[in-house]
Amino acid sequence: MSRVLREVEEALEDDSLRRALERAAENNERNVARVLERHPEVEHLAREVEEAKKSVIERLDYYIDKAMESLRRVGARPYLAETPEEAREIVAGIVGRGKLVVMSKSMVAEELRLREHLEALGNRVWETDLGQLLVQLENGRPMHTIAPAVHISRVEAARLVSERLGLELSSGSPEEIVEAVRRFLREKLVHADVGITGANAVAADTGAVFLVENEGNIRIVSGLSRKHVVVTGVDKIMPTILDAFKAVLVQAAYAGLYPPTYVNVTAGPSSTADIELHRVYGAQGPREVHVVLVDNGRRRAARHPVLSEQLRCIRCGRCQLECPVWQQSANHWGGRVYGGPMGLGWTAVTESLEVAAEAAMLCLGCMRCDLVCPMEIPLSRIAAWLKRQYTRRMGLSG
Amino acid sequence: MDLRSVLSAIAETTLRTGLPVPAPREAVYRWAQPLGLPRNGRVYLYTGALYQLVPYIKAYVSLLEQLGKGGSRLAKLASTRLAARVVRPDRRESELVEGILSSIARLLSRAGVEYAYLYEDDLYSGVLLYDLGLEEAFRKHAARVYEALRRRGAEKLITVDPHTTYVMRSVYPEYVEGFSIEVVNYLELLAERLGSKPARAPGSLGAMVIHDPCLYARALGIVEQPRRLLKAAGVEVLEPRRSGRMTYCCGGPVEALSPRLARRIAEARLRELREKSERVVTLCPICYANLSRVARDETIVDIALVLAKGFLGVDGGAAAGE
Repeated sequence: MSRVLREVEEALEDDSLRRALERAAENNERNVARVLERHPEVEHLAREVEEAKKSVIERLDYYIDKAMESLRRVGARPYLAETPEEAREIVAGIVGRGKLVVMSKSMVAEELRLREHLEALGNRVWETDLGQLLVQLENGRPMHTIAPAVHISRVEAARLVSERLGLELSSGSPEEIVEAVRRFLREKLVHADVGITGANAVAADTGAVFLVENEGNIRIVSGLSRKHVVVTGVDKIMPTILDAFKAVLVQAAYAGLYPPTYVNVTAGPSSTADIELHRVYGAQGPREVHVVLVDNGRRRAARHPVLSEQLRCIRCGRCQLECPVWQQSANHWGGRVYGGPMGLGWTAVTESLEVAAEAAMLCLGCMRCDLVCPMEIPLSRIAAWLKRQYTRRMGLSG
Repeated sequence: MDLRSVLSAIAETTLRTGLPVPAPREAVYRWAQPLGLPRNGRVYLYTGALYQLVPYIKAYVSLLEQLGKGGSRLAKLASTRLAARVVRPDRRESELVEGILSSIARLLSRAGVEYAYLYEDDLYSGVLLYDLGLEEAFRKHAARVYEALRRRGAEKLITVDPHTTYVMRSVYPEYVEGFSIEVVNYLELLAERLGSKPARAPGSLGAMVIHDPCLYARALGIVEQPRRLLKAAGVEVLEPRRSGRMTYCCGGPVEALSPRLARRIAEARLRELREKSERVVTLCPICYANLSRVARDETIVDIALVLAKGFLGVDGGAAAGE
């Protein structure tokens, strides 16, 4: 039996996973419907974001250059990393050894296995998104793009927090867990040497990095340390600062969380010119902002007739929550990092065509994902193409 | 059972016998013999054999499940002629399918549609090959099907299920050179001709919850027609939480690769349908098979049988689920 099929069938035995996914799917469906009903303008924004994304994918190299130029102009330090190895080395070079590092959830960091790499170099690294911290504590992997711990029950969360962090809990209620973790992480956040975040969008015209969130951890991670490192895929580049803003709003809306509690915009390091109008970098915010743009198959995909469509994805995760197969198996159905309908394409782009093609064989072709994708990505067509790659590789083409 | 063995068995069996699972050819057109449908015409009823194959697919999948435990060498056996003797469908299921198809034929006649039947040229469309990514096998098979249809002078096909309708309408033109046969679904035809005036008092056949097939709802835009017909037939149509364009898959498409996953999805869907009624009307043979596999005290009925009861007064064995 194939690896993917085995993992999916094992997940089918997990009743608490199934119940958790069912609840999450129902809640998301209701939340998104409510957001779109109350804010119909979001659907117009989505069309504008889709067009902007298309224009970037068509001229990706041009926009990468433009974004790097703009980043330099605002005093940030841009890098283009072609492979995960290159990206890891760049970040390791910035962080150094024996440091305290705080991270906010980033799927690209997962692609790079960044946390593990930095830990191996003798750094202490903490995830600050609650869900991602739980995933770190269980030594697992995120099961959804926006809700990485969608598979972890409150009981399991309480057990992880008390056993792995030594935090004392009495009731084990979600409120108590959140409060305990807040106190625990506060100390790490204040003393961290480096804060690492992803990015939801990077504006090519200005070098502004956009991050959208509700927990409030990202603004602390990106604002309190001396060094802020942004690790993101080149697909996150948007032509203008306005396009970038629209992209994060659309992402939040289709994740069912709208308006998002926080939108963070970072255009270079903090500075002040309050004394004799002399510019000094490193005021209350970071002194250094490093932006690592990760390729990892994306530039190649941008030239591909089928996979280029995947690059429009804003990772809202709605297709996952609407998919009958994902609702039974979460990200067990997919590659190492990305699962579900969007995970098939992303796995093909960033990890392995072979893994993606095999996983695609379990796609029902029911097209629910196509209908709910705010970027109108033909996800089931990508899956169908991957199935054809699978049969070819198996020598079954005819 | 590994994926490769299942796929190669399906491709090989289809190219050798014309059907994706071992089944006798006459099982495809046996249902039509008592009806005396004309053999020649320009408009043909084309079933694409999907309804007829369901009992065989079910028997074959359970054979594969058993052989799977013995490894891929045994799985290869499943594609041989020997397998044809082993795959024995449930007789009652075959009768039910024949009842559905003759109900469709009678409903078309009642609606005043003139058509002929293809009999031995009512070939399987090859849709499973397409769905599983077996592109080259599909291309070869589709060329043969087209050749048979061309030989019979088909200008228009009346299809009876979503998969065959979709593949003939949207996929054949891409894969078969020169394919220009018009494809119309029987529900579209019936809705046009029978849907406007009620055949029975509203709700006289009771309430049923409707399960839309994915392809009708999302690829073919057939959503309103079955509802109009059911209402005219006297059914009170109940909508599940996810219905119409946002309908939820029955899990059937992965049945051959992971019967357990297919079962779980079917159970989830049935729980949702059940919230509205224990009487479920399906519009597709795959949905029918997969949902009835997990049904306990729920009744799953094909729409053709319900319409036959409403419009023709015929109880096609299990019409309206009684």
